[in-house]
Amino acid sequence: MTVAAVASLVVGIVIGFVGQRSRMCFVGGIRDWILARDTFLLKGLIAFGLVAWIAFPLSELAGGAPVGEFGRPAVTDLLLTVAGGLGVGYISVLANGCPFRQHVLAAQGSGGSFVYLTGFFSGAILFHIVVSPAILSILP
Amino acid sequence: MENDTRVATSRHTFAPRITGLQAGIVMAVAAVAAGAFFEVRPPEAYGICIACHGRDLITWSANRLTDSRLTVAPASLVFPLLTVVGVLIGAWVAAVVSGEFRWRRPRKPLKKFVYGVLVMNGALLAAGCSIRLLLRTSAGDLLGAAGFGAMVIGVVLATFWLRRMALR
Repeated sequence: MTVAAVASLVVGIVIGFVGQRSRMCFVGGIRDWILARDTFLLKGLIAFGLVAWIAFPLSELAGGAPVGEFGRPAVTDLLLTVAGGLGVGYISVLANGCPFRQHVLAAQGSGGSFVYLTGFFSGAILFHIVVSPAILSILP
Repeated sequence: MENDTRVATSRHTFAPRITGLQAGIVMAVAAVAAGAFFEVRPPEAYGICIACHGRDLITWSANRLTDSRLTVAPASLVFPLLTVVGVLIGAWVAAVVSGEFRWRRPRKPLKKFVYGVLVMNGALLAAGCSIRLLLRTSAGDLLGAAGFGAMVIGVVLATFWLRRMALR
């Protein structure tokens, strides 16, 4: 488990560096393509999906831990996931970048993204103390 | 003059420009490798998630400091994943060596704060930020694919909304 912590720190440093040098954003690609037919970030989004799709089975062949079964999703899970996904996409465009991009912007001195991050992390506490129990109490 | 050239060269060496395509490839390999070889699991397809890993760090710390028992993903039970800390360090280093670090005062801070709260809540509801929703889709998770599809629709709607507001 501490292996995971160290590995995630290293992964974070690598993708943070790469993300700053490329201005990579996981919602910006679609936005830029609609607004200006600019494919710079969209290529990154598509490449991420395709490379991961190929890399999952390849890593298993190379002796990595296999990806487990996911099973068929229940209807309530599906509805909650769709609602959450819609919110992430819509608000991230208004906020001018996905969560990853906001971390990169904060690290290069953007005060606005810094404020965003304080909201982001407060939001995690809010979710587990208020939002998640509220949703569970409504569901059968 | 000669000094200027040297600065330009060193900038090129330590802080190369990277294309979005290259960034996507590097991030995908890192995300899959973290899960397959470095124990960043369970849950599945958890290699990179800015929202969930950030949540793990916050709730793990809160559980340590107070007697709360907030949700922490299994991968973060013993010690939390430090992806978000790494991203901040890596991006800060890249910004400093490329001379792009510049402090900018926040405009409309309350709005930014609310956006942060909403995006985190949406991401935790969908069990993934924009990155992990795509990662789950690539791993063959139907639920993840539904979340990613919904995210794309949200992005498209918001972009058309922004354009409409800009053209008025």
